[in-house]
Amino acid sequence: MVVRQAIDSIPRFVTSYRAFQGTPLENYLYTDYFFSLLTFGLMIMALSVGSGIFSFLMRQTVVVASRHIEYDLRNRLYDQLQNLSHDFYLKHATGDLITRSTSDIEQVRRYIGPAIMYTTRALVIIVVALSVMFVISPKLTWYTLIPMPFLAVSVGLVAHLVHSRSDALQFQYSVLTSRVQEALSGIRVLKAYSREKVEAEAFDKESADYRKKSLDLAFIEAAWRPVFLTLVGVSTLIVVWVGGTLAIAGEITIGNIAEYIIYVALMTWPVASMGFVITMVQRAAASMDRLNEIFDAEPGIVTTEGEAIKEAKGAIAFEAVSFRHPASEVKALNSVSFAAPAGSTLAVVGRTGSGKTTLVEMIPRLLDAESGTVRIDGRDVKSIPVDVLRSMIGYVPQDVFLFSDTVAENISFGTLGAEQSLIEKAALEADLLDNISSFQDGFETFVGERGITLSGGQKQRTSIARALIRQPRILILDDALSAVDVGTEQTILGHLKKQFGKRTIVIVSHRISAVKDADHIIVLDEGQIIENGNHDSLVQEDGFYAALHHKQLLERELEELA
Amino acid sequence: MSEEKKKGLDGRLLRRIISYLEPYKIWVGVAFITVLVVAFLGPLRPKLVQITIDQDIVTGDLEGLRNMIMLLFGILVAEGLLSFVNAYLTQWIGQQAIYDLRTKLYRHIQRQSLRFFDTTPIGRLITRVTSDVESLSQVLSAGVVTILGDLFKLIFISWFMFSLNWELALLTLAVMPLMVYATFWFKRKVRVAYRETRTQVARLNSFLQEHISGMKIVQLFGREEEEMNRFKAINDEHRQAHIRTIFYYALFFPLVDLVATIALGLVIWFGGLNAMQGTLTLGVLIAFIQYARQFFEPIRNLSDQFNTLQSAMAGAERIFDLLDSDSSIPEEESPVDFKSVDGRIEFRNVWFSYDPKIDSEDDEADWILRDVSFSVNPGQSLAIVGATGAGKSTVINLLLRFYDIQRGSILVDGVDITSISLADLRSHIGLVLQDVFLFSGTIRDNITLRNDEITDERMKRAAASIGASAFIERFSAQYDYEVRERGMSLSHGQRQLLSFVRALVYAPRILVLDEATSSVDTETEEAIQNALERLMKDRTSVAIAHRLSTIQHADKILVMHRGQVRESGSHQELISQDGLYRKLYELQYQEQKALA
Repeated sequence: MVVRQAIDSIPRFVTSYRAFQGTPLENYLYTDYFFSLLTFGLMIMALSVGSGIFSFLMRQTVVVASRHIEYDLRNRLYDQLQNLSHDFYLKHATGDLITRSTSDIEQVRRYIGPAIMYTTRALVIIVVALSVMFVISPKLTWYTLIPMPFLAVSVGLVAHLVHSRSDALQFQYSVLTSRVQEALSGIRVLKAYSREKVEAEAFDKESADYRKKSLDLAFIEAAWRPVFLTLVGVSTLIVVWVGGTLAIAGEITIGNIAEYIIYVALMTWPVASMGFVITMVQRAAASMDRLNEIFDAEPGIVTTEGEAIKEAKGAIAFEAVSFRHPASEVKALNSVSFAAPAGSTLAVVGRTGSGKTTLVEMIPRLLDAESGTVRIDGRDVKSIPVDVLRSMIGYVPQDVFLFSDTVAENISFGTLGAEQSLIEKAALEADLLDNISSFQDGFETFVGERGITLSGGQKQRTSIARALIRQPRILILDDALSAVDVGTEQTILGHLKKQFGKRTIVIVSHRISAVKDADHIIVLDEGQIIENGNHDSLVQEDGFYAALHHKQLLERELEELA
Repeated sequence: MSEEKKKGLDGRLLRRIISYLEPYKIWVGVAFITVLVVAFLGPLRPKLVQITIDQDIVTGDLEGLRNMIMLLFGILVAEGLLSFVNAYLTQWIGQQAIYDLRTKLYRHIQRQSLRFFDTTPIGRLITRVTSDVESLSQVLSAGVVTILGDLFKLIFISWFMFSLNWELALLTLAVMPLMVYATFWFKRKVRVAYRETRTQVARLNSFLQEHISGMKIVQLFGREEEEMNRFKAINDEHRQAHIRTIFYYALFFPLVDLVATIALGLVIWFGGLNAMQGTLTLGVLIAFIQYARQFFEPIRNLSDQFNTLQSAMAGAERIFDLLDSDSSIPEEESPVDFKSVDGRIEFRNVWFSYDPKIDSEDDEADWILRDVSFSVNPGQSLAIVGATGAGKSTVINLLLRFYDIQRGSILVDGVDITSISLADLRSHIGLVLQDVFLFSGTIRDNITLRNDEITDERMKRAAASIGASAFIERFSAQYDYEVRERGMSLSHGQRQLLSFVRALVYAPRILVLDEATSSVDTETEEAIQNALERLMKDRTSVAIAHRLSTIQHADKILVMHRGQVRESGSHQELISQDGLYRKLYELQYQEQKALA
């Protein structure tokens, strides 16, 4: 508007200036007009500053708000993830969950912040510009508006195509990646059968497909800017043509033309952004759906408000417990019954896949039995509050998992705020103290995710210390000594033996040497107990246990022989 | 981050990348031309608008006005078309070039020896072939041509502006330093802020990844509350980092607008003054308003392009490093002809270590195989036994020449294998591994390995004699049954049988077999034993034996321990020796009895 006034006033200035040329008033007029134009110029800048400030504020509020929303959403998601039980994690791939927690949330945030911003800005600009334009010349305005709908629609179309084609491209990219991965993993077979050339040709085919899909996408992306700019250009042309005609007819001024050109320039981006916004919202909705799948999931293990056990002793009993994994037809546990009195040591032996881990996972209620009852100190585990139950138990899992944190933090993971002396004691009992002392930072040494810098045996012992420090009533060791050599195993077992009688210990192992001194040994096969007794009675039975024992003796001899 | 290494655009590296554009130089030329034309047409339009206003509107020439509009429209369409052609063409060129690069890279990797694969994680190789190559496409397509296009656009705009009115042009350009300064200030601040956000994002992601993978531990040890607090803290820092970045953006965009508006203001002021003095027409004024806007866009684009270029260069470097290193098994220039083979194998004083740097003179060094010598006559079967780490699998690796030995020689039919071409050697040896590797594809694909020369009939006959056709034909798709990656949908025994069929179908004179140690159910076990008999008939076979039946039926048994041959002979001979073999035999026997 200001621009228009400025431009319109110029002819006036020009004519009146010329009129006074050669008169003493000339200089006076010059300065007068000089300052008028200067004022115009400054006003334009001031307006720009003003709109700049508002634009700044808008971004600071709207986009910042989107980050706040993201923060809340993430917290809620993590909270829910912690609530969900083990069976949920068995059903869903880790990678998939991680993608949802990271990239899906990102999608939702990205499209809500900017989408709101673009929409409000577009609405305001369009309303203001249009109202002014209509006041000046409805006719010209209508003409100018003709390309606008095309603009919005074409942008929307392009955005949609871009998304669908980039999805296809992403898919082909992962096909290509899998192909390379497979071929390189099986390179030995490929070389042995001299199939390299054939495989390379097959790779070329996928590579060519990828190229094609890239070009499909490039096609759309290449078309987008020219289409956009052409439509904008056409708008400008219409302004010049129709506006010119009207100006010649004297209905509008040339200043108006300049003004309209500027308005058109102002409106184009907001109008185009409407097309984007629609697709953005679609993508966000899809991601939100995926997130809701997590939010709506029900935790499998529900805790009750039962009483805590007053004097936990740690007696474990399984009564006809059966369990089947969600997608499987085979029973992982089939009517398993046994009793381990408080303070006794129970050993579980069996082949891979016989159900040993499933069995011990039922004790801290990572899984619930399908039928039958698991009892601690005579009470059904389902009647004990979960946090109380788990605080009684020290669990050393088969797959060692340590967090990226210090050794001390890892050991005291289950015992918040444990004193250094307790940590050291646990490390001693796990035969880890000497190792830690030899580290440069001792207990403050950082271990990477999954404890990378530690050896397999050291990781396992840290895991054991983590369980021991809790002074649990029930200690569960699931194949916890597999990565240590026989000597270390004996040392740890030696420490553990001091615990015998003080707590109930459940050991799952292949190694007879670890299991020999247990009070009670059960042998599992395909989810059922096939043998039980103690070491001597089982050796006498001459069954699976006995054969395993003999084999391990032979292995020992063999090592000593050479 | 090695900031020093960012000399930015290493000339040599850039030239090497551009060499991939060689085959397409004609198209590159076309692209250049279109870029130039487009760069010219853009700034032309405001000039024509100026003419229109001054000559036609002011004078009231309707006819002239219409003609100009037609012309302008034509130019607009032409500009649109050409810039589309340009954009697509540059992408096309880029994609072609990286297709070539990808092919070359993949073939190069495939050719490398097993030693290379032992020491290079596959993940890294995958990244090279896929994402690193992809990032190069940016350089090859958009990068070079677009940068030039933007530069030319700037030149043309300036030219037009100056030709219209040099004083206004200078005025408009006067604000440019301000714009450039603002852009660089912004980029610098944002880069720092971005680095911070990247760190935060990485922390957040790794927290999530760790905790989702280890949720069992968190729950078992009752750490939910504590971990929730930690998560909130990390989440918050992540938020703060991003909010800081938003601040800079929020500042930058209005600033840029302001600068452009300053230019506009100046144009109006000064232009208006000149108009009064008759040195300027209104059309020129309006044209300048458009130019002021048009000018600043290429400047902004240029700085973006520069960044993309830099990161793509890093990827290029990694790729070329890979291409430049070659550890493939060296083959004879003119290999001995090796078309038909009897199947006599001989190892003569073979010393081997996987360590390429080992001192071959030093007898006490850490050798995997020490002075190993043995021979197998055509049609005989050899079984190798020994404890883990005795060197058994190594013997097989060497026979197939996956690695070259340091001392001694390996001969087939009296010919040293280093003088035979790898393809010929391997075409006569059939390999069956204990870790059966199946590819995703049909059963047929896995048996024939996509070799068109193997007819369906031959394949089915092989399957029948191995005894695998029973289970294959139970699938509704039969031989077209899709095997999932690594053969997950089949049982272990079935996978073994398939690998036997594969070996049989290639009908080699020599069979090399690394037996599986894990047990299968008795039914499949029988099938496998029968299959093995069938497979080993009339062939020379070398088997790392774990099965009782394999050992018992072998013509000769080699007992290895710690890289040396300790005992050798037939089963009976070795049992009566009552040494290492006997102990091993009992061990196997016990294990298989227990699991029967």
